[in-house]
Amino acid sequence: MRLKVAIVLLLMILSTTISTANPGGKGDAVRSRDCAGSCHASSSSNGISDATLDIQFPDEVYAGLLTEVHTSVGSVEVSSNKMVGMALLINSDGAKDLPANDGWEVVTDPNGGANNYVEVTDSFSSQETVSRTWTLRAPASPGTYSLYLAVQHGTPNGGVAMTGISEAMQVTVSEVPENLPRLSEEWEPVNTRGLGEETEITLQTVNTDSATIELKNGAEIITIPVVDDKFVIPAAVNPGVVEWRVILEGEGPTQNSPWFRLTAQEPGWEVDEFALYLQGFALFILCVGLVVLQRPKSEEIDSNKYDNTEDVTSQFGRILDSSSAMVDLPTNGPPLPEGGLPEGWTMEQWEYYGQEHIDNIARGGQQ
Amino acid sequence: MISAGTFHVISTELTIGMFALAGVAFLLCALKKGPTSREAVAHWALLGGLIATPLAIISGINAVPGDGIDNPLLANKLLLSMASAGLAVGVLLRRKWGGEVDFRHASIGMISVGLMLTTAGMGGEYSRGETLLFLIPKETVMLFPVWASIILLILGMAIVGKSTIEHRS
Repeated sequence: MRLKVAIVLLLMILSTTISTANPGGKGDAVRSRDCAGSCHASSSSNGISDATLDIQFPDEVYAGLLTEVHTSVGSVEVSSNKMVGMALLINSDGAKDLPANDGWEVVTDPNGGANNYVEVTDSFSSQETVSRTWTLRAPASPGTYSLYLAVQHGTPNGGVAMTGISEAMQVTVSEVPENLPRLSEEWEPVNTRGLGEETEITLQTVNTDSATIELKNGAEIITIPVVDDKFVIPAAVNPGVVEWRVILEGEGPTQNSPWFRLTAQEPGWEVDEFALYLQGFALFILCVGLVVLQRPKSEEIDSNKYDNTEDVTSQFGRILDSSSAMVDLPTNGPPLPEGGLPEGWTMEQWEYYGQEHIDNIARGGQQ
Repeated sequence: MISAGTFHVISTELTIGMFALAGVAFLLCALKKGPTSREAVAHWALLGGLIATPLAIISGINAVPGDGIDNPLLANKLLLSMASAGLAVGVLLRRKWGGEVDFRHASIGMISVGLMLTTAGMGGEYSRGETLLFLIPKETVMLFPVWASIILLILGMAIVGKSTIEHRS
């Protein structure tokens, strides 16, 4: 029997497949590069990616303001699903490498979220270069900062998880010039919207006399008027991304904002939460009821095989009876006379002096 | 401090560990095999799992990105865990009120454990896209109309109330 069990277990172990990566990706997230224990089997089993990685910054990056960063991945052979995980990092140590650690904020990632790690599906190949755009808010303190682009992907043959990281790309963050027309530091762009709904966006500007919106419509760029710092982006019929930017004019030099991306999505799954919670609670109570409904009747409880009360009581009664009888019988000394102990005697006295008392009576003495 | 996601992992493992132990002990009860302590182990482990369940649910809700229940798996997790908790409470009440740990009692305990383990399996499907439970509903939620839920609720409360009164008498 043991041998059969061992053989079954061995077959089950041998039937497992060896997988070193998650071929479907792990999903966009705020993620450090050192994810070896979570998204890949082991960093020691990873391969080194041959991808050429690059990051492009605008000429001027101002402290605390929004800026546009272009990343590109080229010359890479990936798995059949054509997916590459791209991460923006501040060092290559695998720890404390999130952009936020240096004061960067990912305002819009290439997929319309706000993560430093995104998974991109595109025509990755040894001949193609795939570019993506990120909108970041620069650190509040001027200085020189480093950014890295890291990638994770599979291989055409599968089986090995490939990782790579770019050289450090230096970017100088400058102090904001006086009178620079700009978007307020508190303002955040809208990243997503539903299908079929117009999007009204309210701008918050500083040192700005007038603002103009440019919207990419295919290869064409159309201008949208701004009224009371508000403008409307037309509704989307199909899922997709529209890009827009604002041109700010004032006393200082005219400024173009980064291209903001507004992603139109299919409406997500929705449920009437009240009905759901009510049904959950009803199921809870009903399940409790259905189980306690099978509670045994009181007469069944009395005849329960575990209920030995009667036995214990009767045995205890017998013990009490026998003990009382034993108390009445002397353990030493002569047997008691028919009338019991002489008046005024105790059992202890009878044990010691009883025989003498009987002898005395036999000799005709006083009782 | 730890994130809601990490706390959810801790509380979930606590819950599932206790329920799994209760499941094994109930199996021994059903088979009438093993040590005599199996009944006590089954019910105390079930109670421990029940105590940890609210922590797992609350931390799970906090750990979910986005607002509210926006995935069929989450809705099914809620319904299954509530049904499992209901069965577990019923098993414990039945035992406390003097019910015998027979095959039927042990089977209900194992069903409760099975539902809770299924709930955990759906969590794996939701968070990692992987689970051993290939047949779990991923896109379908059986949601009753509100009136049907209210009827079920009243029915359940009536049964529980009747059983409580019978027990006192």
